[in-house]
Amino acid sequence: MDFKLPENTTMIADTARRYLKDNYSFDSYIAQLNESNHLEANRWQAMNDLGWFGLPFAESVGGYGGSLLDVCAIVQELGAALCLDPFVDLIVSPGKLLEFANTPTSLALLDRIIAGEARVACGLYDRHAGYHVLNPSLRLNGERLSGQKHVVSDGGVADAVLVSAMSGDELVIVALPFDACDVERYRLLDGSRAASLTLDDVLITDEMVLCRGDAAKQAVSAWFDYLCALDCARMYGACREVYQATLEYARTRKQFGRTIGSFQVIQHYLVDAFIDLQQLESMLLMVSVKGESANVCERGRATAAAKAYYANRAVGITQQGIQIHGGVGVTEELNIGHYFRLVTHASLSHGDREHHMSRFIQAGEKQNEVV
Amino acid sequence: MNLDFSNDEKEFRKSIRQWMKENVPDDIRRCTARGAMPDKNMQQRWERLLGSQGWLTSTWPEQFGGPGWSATQRYIFDQERASAGAPPTSPFGVAMVGPVLYTFGSEAQKERWLPGIQRGETLWCQGYSEPNAGSDLASLKTRATRNGDHYLVNGQKIWTTQAHWADMMFCLVRTDSTVKQQQGISFLLIDMKTPGLEVRPIYSIDGHHHLNEVYFTDVKVPVENLVGQEGMGWTIAKFLLTHERTTIAGVADIHYEINRLKSAIDALPTETDKQLAVRRLAGLEVDLMALEYTNFRTVAATDEGKPFGPESSGLKIKGTELQQRVSQAMVEIGGLMSLPWDNEEPIGEQIFNQASRRYNFLRACTIYGGSNEIQKNVLAKMLLGL
Repeated sequence: MDFKLPENTTMIADTARRYLKDNYSFDSYIAQLNESNHLEANRWQAMNDLGWFGLPFAESVGGYGGSLLDVCAIVQELGAALCLDPFVDLIVSPGKLLEFANTPTSLALLDRIIAGEARVACGLYDRHAGYHVLNPSLRLNGERLSGQKHVVSDGGVADAVLVSAMSGDELVIVALPFDACDVERYRLLDGSRAASLTLDDVLITDEMVLCRGDAAKQAVSAWFDYLCALDCARMYGACREVYQATLEYARTRKQFGRTIGSFQVIQHYLVDAFIDLQQLESMLLMVSVKGESANVCERGRATAAAKAYYANRAVGITQQGIQIHGGVGVTEELNIGHYFRLVTHASLSHGDREHHMSRFIQAGEKQNEVV
Repeated sequence: MNLDFSNDEKEFRKSIRQWMKENVPDDIRRCTARGAMPDKNMQQRWERLLGSQGWLTSTWPEQFGGPGWSATQRYIFDQERASAGAPPTSPFGVAMVGPVLYTFGSEAQKERWLPGIQRGETLWCQGYSEPNAGSDLASLKTRATRNGDHYLVNGQKIWTTQAHWADMMFCLVRTDSTVKQQQGISFLLIDMKTPGLEVRPIYSIDGHHHLNEVYFTDVKVPVENLVGQEGMGWTIAKFLLTHERTTIAGVADIHYEINRLKSAIDALPTETDKQLAVRRLAGLEVDLMALEYTNFRTVAATDEGKPFGPESSGLKIKGTELQQRVSQAMVEIGGLMSLPWDNEEPIGEQIFNQASRRYNFLRACTIYGGSNEIQKNVLAKMLLGL
């Protein structure tokens, strides 16, 4: 085995870290938090110039052929910087779904995303289906689409959306404009922007249906696993920062005439966080490789395990970070609480702990059948 | 990045698996499958069998008689050993005094003691802890006084695992009480048959005899049994703490235990019982995966020639915690079936019959070899700079 990152991935990670250090601060984050439009033109252009819009996609579909490991490297740094620029929501998430769908119409739309010309979001969740993305409650009856989608993450600016729906007992992926729906916009736990969409007999033409049946199922399931891996990367970046900041705080904050890091109980909390962070990194490396495995069962088992583990331990690190910071840890003015919200958010998006434990158990049973 | 074993490694696994299938004695396999601990005879037969293949001392450098395996090969060997139902080998000779001798010992000491360890013929025990020197090991009081060509040892050791089996003890003794605690400690090899040395059993809460007290009254130890110089004992003890042990987390044996538990789920009384057990096991498996990939990283780093750093203490801490959690899960999932203590015939599924003994036994694993709290103190100092 070899756990060294390829040189190219290290370069991508370094570039992302440097770019964000120079162009994004806690103040930029707070400013963005108060905006309803999260697409900041200069940074958006800069990300495009860095090649990030094409990176996640295969060369055969017009991308730069980056691996999941490469994309995780960027997303990790976005998490570490608390960056709310909707790179995942408007580029990676819709782009990967379109790439996995792999039809002429889906690839044409992907072209426009890579070129930075389209603002498309993914709407794969709804109130009734929860995390069960293969059984959406939205219904396509003939040419009419009705139902509801929520937590459509879009940076507050998408004008089109890819939704999943059932057409009879067949899963379909449909692209439609936002203005065909009733839209309610809001902020999410991590500060990002999202919308709920209500569709009432929306007229759907044939060319709006991108993909159907088994092909649609495979695309949505690959998309779900890919996004799970990105959640882990984002949480890892945040935890890394929380751990460093908390260690630094313990070294400098004085009470009773000595640094709080000299107290054994604080030392043990921090050692626990250090060990957990090491294990979180191991799980991230694992899922960054297996999250795009051609073996669907292995892919599902890996992403389920990783997200279930993160929902437990990554959340734990940020909780403990607040505890060690004491009162200042629960204030809006310190970044620690914001990381806590980010990690909690990511632990709940694309499947929470219990959902992934169930997936893990099912994947284990399937694996046994194969053996 | 590559998370797969190479073709050579896969071939190696195949050959080890085949060997285990043909060579692990049936009584030992059955003993492990019951969740029981091997007795002295089984342990020694198993170690001699490995010794005859040259595999017992697989962590040793080739020049001292190791098989020349990579860390990855040793890891694979350990996985196959555990899944074949064979016990881990006793650490005292192979993993502890052996490396001390080939690192600090004289040529004469190497010649005299290494072959017996390699072949699994000499059993060793570790004389470290004392009644008033547990986690605070450096405060130990057992004295060795130089008297011509020998030392006279007086004092007491405690928690000495397998002292009642052992031929030899490696022992930390105080040779100088005028200097700083750590500097007055020396490393002696003591024959367990020496007059004045008395071993008394301690029964632990699993009902078995693993531990002992060892009393020394004017025990004569030849001067040639001193390893290194007088006063080097603490340095040697610290060397052992960071000595490479890529299987310290016990991942292979935890896998075996989880699989044993899985095989018993069908025997649970109701569907709800089964579902809850499956859910609980899955949680343990996920945590094991995180431990295992961390372990893989250590193995891969070792094969790249990187030193085995203090961060490996994390493997010990997480590994022992997980061993305890799995043994607790087994008892709790077994419920009533885990209650009988000394019956021959299990009242339910066989694996639950000894589960409570194992659960009791494993309470020790977060204490021995430096308690997890001491490990955390060390990490806080060495890694976090606190």
